[in-house]
Parts: sequence; C-alpha cells; structure tokens
Amino acid sequence: MRLLCVVFLIVLVPGGASSVAEPPDIHDVVEAQQETVVKLFGAGVGNLDSYGSGVLISEQGHVATVWNHLINTGFLTAVVADGRRYTVQVVGTSLEHDLAILKLNSDDDETFSFVDWKASDEALTGETVLAFSNVYHVATGNEPVSVVHGVIAGKSLLKAGFGRWQFPISTPVYILDAVTNNSGAAGGLLTSQDGRPLGLLGREIRHRDTDMWVNYAVPFTTLQPAITTMLAGRRVQPSAATGDDRKMLSDRVLTSAFGLTLLPGVLKRTPAYVDRVIPDSPAAAAGLQRGDLVLMVNEDVIQSVNDLRASLAGFRRGQRVTLTLNRNNSLQVTELRIP
Amino acid sequence: MMQQFSAGSEVGDSDSNSGAGPAMRPMPSPGRRRSLLSGRNTRPVFGVVLLWLAVCLVVWSGSGPATADLPESLVARQQQRIQTIERISPSVVCVMPPGGQGGGSGVLISADGYAISNYHVTSGSGDFMKCGLNDGKVYDAVIVGIDPTGDVALIRLLGRDDFPFCTPGNSDLVRTGDEVIALGNPFLLASDYTPTVTCGIVSGVHRYQYPAGTFLEYTDCIQIDASINPGNSGGPLFDIDGNWIGINGRASFEKRGRINTGAAYAISVRQVLLFIDHLKSGRIVDHGRVGFTVRTSPEGLVEVEQVSQLSEAWRRGLRQGDEIVSFAGRSLSSANDFKNILGIFPEGTRLPLAWRDSEGVRRVTVRLQPLHGFDEAPPLPQERQSEPEPRRPGDGDEQDPEDQSEKNPAEKDPVPDQYAHLFERRKGFANYYFNRQHQDRLLKPMAAQTSASAKDQRGRWLLQVKLETEAGPKTGELGIGSDAAWLQVDGLNSALQSRTDYDPQNEPVEFSGLLAGMMQWHRMSQNDQTLFSETVYHGSENLLPSGDHVDVLITQDGVITSRWYFQADVPWPVGVDIHLSAGEDEVRLRFRDWRIDGPLPCPGKIGVVDSDTEQIRWIGVESVRVSVGEEAGAAVSQSRSEVSS
Repeated sequence: MRLLCVVFLIVLVPGGASSVAEPPDIHDVVEAQQETVVKLFGAGVGNLDSYGSGVLISEQGHVATVWNHLINTGFLTAVVADGRRYTVQVVGTSLEHDLAILKLNSDDDETFSFVDWKASDEALTGETVLAFSNVYHVATGNEPVSVVHGVIAGKSLLKAGFGRWQFPISTPVYILDAVTNNSGAAGGLLTSQDGRPLGLLGREIRHRDTDMWVNYAVPFTTLQPAITTMLAGRRVQPSAATGDDRKMLSDRVLTSAFGLTLLPGVLKRTPAYVDRVIPDSPAAAAGLQRGDLVLMVNEDVIQSVNDLRASLAGFRRGQRVTLTLNRNNSLQVTELRIP
Repeated sequence: MMQQFSAGSEVGDSDSNSGAGPAMRPMPSPGRRRSLLSGRNTRPVFGVVLLWLAVCLVVWSGSGPATADLPESLVARQQQRIQTIERISPSVVCVMPPGGQGGGSGVLISADGYAISNYHVTSGSGDFMKCGLNDGKVYDAVIVGIDPTGDVALIRLLGRDDFPFCTPGNSDLVRTGDEVIALGNPFLLASDYTPTVTCGIVSGVHRYQYPAGTFLEYTDCIQIDASINPGNSGGPLFDIDGNWIGINGRASFEKRGRINTGAAYAISVRQVLLFIDHLKSGRIVDHGRVGFTVRTSPEGLVEVEQVSQLSEAWRRGLRQGDEIVSFAGRSLSSANDFKNILGIFPEGTRLPLAWRDSEGVRRVTVRLQPLHGFDEAPPLPQERQSEPEPRRPGDGDEQDPEDQSEKNPAEKDPVPDQYAHLFERRKGFANYYFNRQHQDRLLKPMAAQTSASAKDQRGRWLLQVKLETEAGPKTGELGIGSDAAWLQVDGLNSALQSRTDYDPQNEPVEFSGLLAGMMQWHRMSQNDQTLFSETVYHGSENLLPSGDHVDVLITQDGVITSRWYFQADVPWPVGVDIHLSAGEDEVRLRFRDWRIDGPLPCPGKIGVVDSDTEQIRWIGVESVRVSVGEEAGAAVSQSRSEVSS
C-alpha cells in the first residue's frame, strides 16, 4: 500500500493540580488529535443522522464509538483524517458501556494514528478539555474534524434516556460544560488541554428529570476493561444488573392484540424477527411481513425479541410508534398503532 | 406563552439535582422550549441562559479576580485581554431597523462611518436604519451595498467623521485552536449598546457551508465554538490580539431552537475585503461561476466534471477529466476547496487557473461570470416556524436576524431630512447615490485634463506607431475615429468600420482586438457618458497580468461591454477589457506612459494581451496628429481596399 501513516504517540505530561508548567501549544494538540478521529457514515433513519464520529484505538485500525443507531443499521463506512475511506466491520458491542468496537477493513500493512486509551487517567473537575468530532458533518473527505473547548463540570451518575430506553452506564461519566450534544458528535474524542485522552463523547440524550440535553463523555477508565476484552476477540458479558427484569408484553398479548408472532426467544438474545402476521391486525396494517427484522422502535435500538416486547409494553393504547425494519437487506420504516 | 413557561418550570422542580452534576439546572421541558422559541415574548429567558453560558466561558478563560498565587504571566495575559476588549468594543455596531423590531450587529471599518453587517440583518431594515454604538448614542445609517449570496452588507453611519473603527487582520493565517472573541448584540441585551462579549476557539478553518435551500452561501469560512446567538449576526469576530478576522453570520441550529450549539460560522475578513470596493459601489454585488464543474476523484484529485462550451475555460482548452492544480494561486485537494476559493471572489474578477492534462500543466486566466444576476435585493427564505425540520446532511443551518427587542429606543422615524439625498433607488443597485460618487471620482479628473482639447478629441486621431512583429520591427499609422479604426503597417494592414458590426477577422494578426478596443477608447475620451447606454462603477480588483490594484468602471455600448481600469493618481485608464460578443474572447488592452504634450492625451504605449499566453505585445506611439477633414476617410478606404485585395 502506497500510503503510510505515522503512529501518533501521546506525550504524557506529568499531571497534578499544583503543576504550573505551560501546557503544550494548543495547535499541536489539535493537529495530533484530529488524526485519531474518524468520520463514520451509515444509514440515517427517520430524523436520526446518517453520520457520526469514532476514535482510533489501535495501530491496525480499531475504532471505538458509541453503540447507537448508526452501528445497528449496518452499511457503515469510515473516513480517516487523510481522506482514506474504508468499509467497517463491528468487532464487538457492550450494552452496559454503550460502546461499539469497529475494525476498518484496511490492508494488513496499513497503520493508523491512535489514542493511548490504556494510559488514560482520571480528569479533574474544572479541568479544561477539548472535544473532537465531526459535529454537524461539517468536515468532508480529508477536512479536519471540528474541535470545541470546555470544562469538566463534574463527574456524576447520569439518569438519562428517552421513552423506554435507559442510559445503560451505571458508573459516573464526565459532565461537560461544552456543547457536545449535537448531531454527529457521539463517539468523538474528549482530551485534556494537553492532549491526554479522557473519554468518548456521548450520544444525544436528555436528562430524565430536567429534560435538558446532557453534554457528557464516558471516561476511558470506565471503558478500558470492555475495550481490552473486545480487542482480544471475546464478548463482553453483561453483568447481573442489566439482566432482564423488565416489564414485557407476553407473547399471547402480542399475538392476540397486535396480530404479531415473533421467533421464540430461545437464545439470550434472539433477534426480533417477525414469524407470523395475522391478517386485518394492527401488525398487518403496519405492513409487517414474515421475515422482517425489527431494528428500532422510535429511537430505541432493538437487539432482541425481549427488547421489542419490553419496548412495546411502554406505550399506551392508541399511540403510534415508528418501526425500523430490515427487510431483504434494505431498511424499511413503518408506523404501528398500539392496540 | 407565559402559561406554557410556568408549566415547563414545574417539570424542572422535581428532583432537579439527582446525579446531574453542576451542569444541570432546573429548566422548562425542552419539548415546551421548542414551541416557546416561536413566541417572541419569551426571548428574554434565553438571554438569561446565554448570560449564564457566557459566565461559564469567562470562568474557563481564567478570568476572575487576580490573586497573588496566580502566575504573573497569567495575570498579565488576562489584563491584556481586558484591554483588548476595551479597545475593540467601540467599533461594534448594534443595527436596528427604524422603529421596527429586531436587529443585529455590525462593525465599523473606517472613520467616515462605513460598517459591515450581514445581508440578512440589513435586508429587513429598510434603506435607512438606526445604529447604536457603545458610547450609548444612536446614529442614523444608510444602506450602501449588498452581497446577498455572501450574506454581507455595507452601511454607512452618519453624523461624524471620526467614528472608531477596527483593524483588519489576516484571516488566512487563522488556525484551528486559536482563541477568538466575538462581539455583538445577542438577544439585543444591552440597552446602552455595550456589545456582549463571548470567547471561544476556532473549531475549523476553510469550511464550506452549502446554500441549504437559500442563496446564502458561506465559503471558506471560520468555524468557532464561541456562543453565537440571534442578534450576533453581522457582528465582528476578533483574534486574541484584537484584529478583526470575520463576520459572525451563521450557526448550526437544531433541536434546541435558535440558540448557540457550539458550531457557528464567520465570513472571513479576506472575503469581505475582496468585496469591499464592490460594496462601496452601491450595487447589488454578485458572486461568480467559472463555466465548469469539478468533483473530488477517488484518488483525491480535483477533476473537471463538465465544461460549458461557451466558457472561457473551454476556449482555453479545459476538458472533462482534466485535473485542476491550482485556482487563484491556491492549490487544492477537494471539490470543496475549489468552491471555497471561488466563493470569496466577486463576479467579474479574472483569476489564474492551472490544470494538468495529457500534455502537461496549462496556466491561464478566466473571468468569473455572474452567478445569480440579482436585479433587486432578493427576499430571504421564509423563516422556519416553530418546530425544526427533520435533519438532513448540510441542513440544520438557519440565519436569524430577528430578535424581540423591548428596549429598542429607535422610534418610528421617517427618513431623516438632512440625509434623504444620500439614497437613490435604481434597478440593480442597493443605493445608486454611492455609485454616482465613484463615477465622478474616476471620470472628472479625465474630463478636466482633456477639456482644452475637446475639439481634437472629436476628430480622427492618427498615431505614428512602432511595433515588434514576428517579421521584425515595423512602423506605420494607427487611425482611430468614432466609427472606424485602421492600421496601416506593412503586412498588418487592416480596418474596422462600424463599432457595432464586429468581425475579429478584420483585426490585425498578432494584435487582434486593437482596432475594436481603440474605437471604444475614442468614444470614452469624448467625456460624454450619454454616448454609453450605461456607465457603472464596479469596484476594485487586481488587474491581470500585471497584478496592479485598479478601480473598475464598466460602460455599455450596445452589446459591447468595456471594463475600464483606473489606477490611483493616473487620470486616464491603465487598461480596458472589452467583451464584444458571446462565446468570443475579450479584447484586452493596456495603456502606459500617458503623454499630454501633443494635441490630445495619448498613451506612450498600447499593449494587447494575448489570452492564450497572458503575454502583452506592446505598440509604441511615436506621435499623434488629429484630422478633422476628408483625409482620414481616404485612409480607411485605402486600407479596406488592401484588405479586400
């Protein structure tokens, strides 16, 4: 391969609040970190974006990003800083870290700049930070991603989500005084002013109580075990806390009221495939067909039949929900009235 | 509306602090907030939010009371920043329509009151507006020129000749990560017109922002994370040293409604300065197109997609698949780069273009043709109502000049009597008054120099010329009249009769365009603008191939369009480029060494630019005679018979 990439090594500056050493020049930090952020492009659904951000975490081209709709809808490509474009495969995902690890389908001898996530340490509240992402899809091709500045406002448990979907990370995250809760920013990189990698920028969600959009990032220190496990090719086992104790529609109600039968949930995560649709039922009115794979209900990602049964249980009679389906490898969007 | 707000507040009252950290505040439900944004009466609430954000920004930037244990360098830097803000604040303008609601910002660029703002700010403000400065005073202002595509407007504040003004910096040197300071009047908060200050960093440079359903196109702009909100539009962006580097005009707004999202865009000062004399012309200024399209090839090259056969680039030899190497002297690596370069130049500018084809690299120049050709100030797209549209790539951008202003003191005020003469309405112009001033500036010195020889000006001129031809040096006569021109030089004999019936075949080889050009010069030197159907001051540009900075005056003679170039301190034009008919190359003449010792002012040298090579062939003028009799007519018929033989 004709292209070579210089591996970027993080220069660790001895930290500590008492240090008054001049930080490195911000331009150098910005240029180095922009090299490690990739632009992700997939399929947008409804009012969800078709673009996002990710962070290179290995020389071979592994990318960490938020496990959001973009990952689930497939057809993902990544554009690295110099404009090279790759198809992408999903190496692993972790629900309780809200994390997906991708691998660029690159040639064996290609190398990439990456962040030293293993060496990441805790950031202090009040510390100045930089956030790198392809927010609003402003940068295309080899154009550098955007950078905004801010402050770590705190480190806190986050009570957030929408509809039935609960923010899955049960450990504290960085709350940012910087507007990072924007289209395309999720999966971007948070660093300190001197370039220490701190975390992955979070998704677009609102706080449960205040309904405000929350600017947050998940610390690399939280993600480290999961990233290590997935890079080793193993699956991240969900902890007991995220086990299925959700309120779910029974299969009987699903069939009698919705006119919908799913594949039997024999596996821990049986995909939400439609097995049968009863004529003249709400499911039939929504155009569902045997073999459809339900990917999302509104903006909730559906990963299993249980997810779907739990999600549908969260709506009231008469409400209309948007279903995103995979039918013969193409995305379909349809509307279902809750009976 | 207020009812909705209280309902929203209740939501915020419940358990507002649970695990949210200090960034969380009880706020009304965003679902409500979005609908509230369409309600004008509630805007002050968002001002409070903004203030709170601004406080956060100041905290970040290390402000606050200086204490003994802070490093001296930090304290000094902070002091410097405070002084810088004090120094630049007086140049910031609060632009308000007379008696109306809303408004925006602007920045003064010269002591005589010229100020830059956004087109989307002034377009709703009428021909005269009110402007507040940080001295607390309100000044009258008049519209001067507009650039709807670039979203720039030039206004002139009136009543003083010692206005404070800003110092432009070099926006090409701005780097991602630079600290920047934005000044303006978000939400029209300051009743005394003291501008609001927000700080941030440069998030990206050379950004391209699609027109997105409108004609407003932001090219080569500066992306910043300083808070930009409704009312900031048209206000200046400064670097940390207080140099003016941009005009804050656009932001990516989305789910929060029209408030800061950390992604705003400033028009570069470089673009503003390239347009400034065009704007001073009082015209509706246009951007340009090149007559071909480009795309980024999979290999990362900028490739020609399609070329119009009527374009100058086509005549120079550009074809589909050729690789664009540089444009306007800048190298490029993507189609966006090309659009960024194209977008910062006014229509009519001639720019260097280089491409690679199978035979190597070709370097030529092309003139930008009009992009929109607005005759009237175009209306802005309908403002988005209440809920944001579903997002699309390249969408989510909105300009918003309007803001509720309860403290706007500019009362309903008709056009001030003493300034009424400063505005003249005319098709194609924002304010024709200013164009007339510049026509007079350029044409009066020429008229003054030639008034003594008025009779000779009208006669037929016989120039003894000396020229270098491919067959060696030659001498002969160049004759020029109002409706005929001829060259009597051995081997180059040629003649044109009738200005309007042009055939390039009748021009002398090696000096094609000379005769048609000189006939226009004869007409121009009559000092009678009624001989032209239109005379317009166009602006300024760098004249190619010399690169000299010149003023441009355009005359229209039937279908013949002539661009006359004037340089400071030379009363006569230093050149003219003449467009004779569609699909034909321009005639490009250059004049040097003007002499006034003969019967009439005459250039010592006349140059003909070869558009294929950008080389100038010079003709030396040895002496000038004027004929008012039959003699010249005889010469014409003689030349014509030679041509036909």
